[in-house]
Amino acid sequence: MIGRIGFLIGIALRHLSRRRRQTAVAVSGVAVGVGFFLAVSALMVGSQNDFIKQLIDAAPHIIISDELRSPSPQPGTRVYADGAVDLHGYKVRTEVRGIKDWQAIMAAANAVPGAIASPSLTGGVTLRLGGHDEAISVVGVEPEIETRISTIEEQLRVGHLRDLETTQGGIIIGEDLARRLGVRVGDILAATSSTSSGRSMRVVGLFKKGQTQLSSGVGYVLLREAQSLLGRPFIINRIGVKLADPYAADAVAKRLEARFGYKAESWQERSADFLSLLVTRNVIMYSVVSAILLVASFGIYTVVSNSVSDKQRDIAIMRSIGFSEGDLQFIFVAEGLILALIGVLVGWMLGYLLMSILGSLEFPIGGETEHIPLDRSPRQYAIAAAASFFAGAIAAWLPSRKASRVDPVDILRGAV
Amino acid sequence: MSAIIEARGLGRTLPGDPPVVLLRDVSLTIEPGAFTTIVGPSGCGKSSLLYLLGLIDRPTTGELLVEGREVSQLSGDARAAIRLARFGFVFQFHFLLPEFTALENVMLPMQRLARLSSTEARARALELLAGVGLGEKHTKTPDRLSGGERQRVAIARALANDPILILGDEPTGNLDSHNSARVVETLRALAHEQGRAVACVTHDPGIAEVSDIQIEMLDGRVERVIDRRGAVSGQP
Repeated sequence: MIGRIGFLIGIALRHLSRRRRQTAVAVSGVAVGVGFFLAVSALMVGSQNDFIKQLIDAAPHIIISDELRSPSPQPGTRVYADGAVDLHGYKVRTEVRGIKDWQAIMAAANAVPGAIASPSLTGGVTLRLGGHDEAISVVGVEPEIETRISTIEEQLRVGHLRDLETTQGGIIIGEDLARRLGVRVGDILAATSSTSSGRSMRVVGLFKKGQTQLSSGVGYVLLREAQSLLGRPFIINRIGVKLADPYAADAVAKRLEARFGYKAESWQERSADFLSLLVTRNVIMYSVVSAILLVASFGIYTVVSNSVSDKQRDIAIMRSIGFSEGDLQFIFVAEGLILALIGVLVGWMLGYLLMSILGSLEFPIGGETEHIPLDRSPRQYAIAAAASFFAGAIAAWLPSRKASRVDPVDILRGAV
Repeated sequence: MSAIIEARGLGRTLPGDPPVVLLRDVSLTIEPGAFTTIVGPSGCGKSSLLYLLGLIDRPTTGELLVEGREVSQLSGDARAAIRLARFGFVFQFHFLLPEFTALENVMLPMQRLARLSSTEARARALELLAGVGLGEKHTKTPDRLSGGERQRVAIARALANDPILILGDEPTGNLDSHNSARVVETLRALAHEQGRAVACVTHDPGIAEVSDIQIEMLDGRVERVIDRRGAVSGQP
């Protein structure tokens, strides 16, 4: 059986070797298709991966905040859960903002394997130096834990998050904000909030320019510093959770929210609109590159179709010798697959070359040299090959049916 | 001696309006060790008969037995298998595959049948080519061979799988008298010396005269059968 397949493929190869020019055209069609498929998909998938990585890394995978998705049920409805109770116009008890029982939530989040939960308290303060006021949000964190769940450390131009622990009243602000206030590392500022009297803070670190939010409107301090500055001792209003597997965020967030009631937002939920945009982008990309591969397979159709037409006599003689209809069809399908195979191999090389060229391009962004993010995973090569073989097999199979239908009697009778 | 092929009331009609009757009620036998010729004027149906006997075409009516087995209703693949293992064909226009050398052309049926290893097939093909006097030219492609040489390659290929029946469709029709005589001698020897059945369509009276059995056809019917074996061997 294997010997027979090899023998028939040998005949197909011999046929192709006698039509070099057509073979070359068909092969280069497939090769260009595969090459551009690889280059385009590497660009698209690469930038998508880079984009998703930024989405994932920009903030903790899950953010649990002190908000509720719907107001908490009133005592009357809670007691008569199954009854037809409709209350309105009652006086609502004012509850203190903040996550209650946050140690339990922390424990639950930390119980997920590989997960790290970091508590924080955010509130508004005014920084003041001389006559200059700047309203910012101050974020109180545990530096030890926060560095492990966020990329905040990488955003620092000067200093470390840990420096907050070693300096009494330390604060980290953005380069832009520091410039506006005219302060440098080591300088002292006054900070006031609506609930506390002013206190002095010492600048211990600076965030890089570029990240507008971090650079001009946020200050990082110790958690207990924030609690005292905002007059909310022992209270936190945000828990950031980093997971070992970012893609589990949705499920974990739903679980935490169901259990504790506080809004737990996964990064997928936060960026749902971006993600749906990516799906659209992928649909467009794959339809365009599939069209390229489809057009490339027309070349295969032409070669096989011509080969079948030119080889009517040979088909008749092989049939009379005792080759079966299946043998003949196989020979011509094999011709198409051989073209696809060579095309894919050359296309892989072309794609690799194109990717190397794209990858070597440099773009200066924010004072740093950036390369285009490319996805060079073998998956793309496999997809390109599979699609080409599929298209090639169909392109060869269509005309090959004609070969199996040749009636040798017609050819022998009409032979000239 | 048992017949290799026995035809009983074979008919072949091409569908159409009106239908074209190629053959009607042909009964005959092809026997081993005999050189049979089928003769008749153009359009009398002798080639059509040969295609039926060679299992290339199917009869519309009648029965066809190969070595005692009814084959006209067999599947295409089963008929192809019989052609491959038991029959050899030689055509007027020596249909060699142009991309393959003489040696490779002769090896094709053996490789397809895969009864021999490729080394054995190669050795046998060289032997067969030597047998038709072309041992030296086995590396040449058909376009480098003369008409007579190509026809001898075709005979060697027909013999590749050691067939019991060799069918020729005007095997000398395209050759000069010298080459023609040589081909006829080869075919006669295959019947007489190797005991194969050889049946050829021809309209060369010179060939028909040297055949053992001469089947004369007219208008799709067998008109007359001349058996010369009795005269030669002295049997009735």
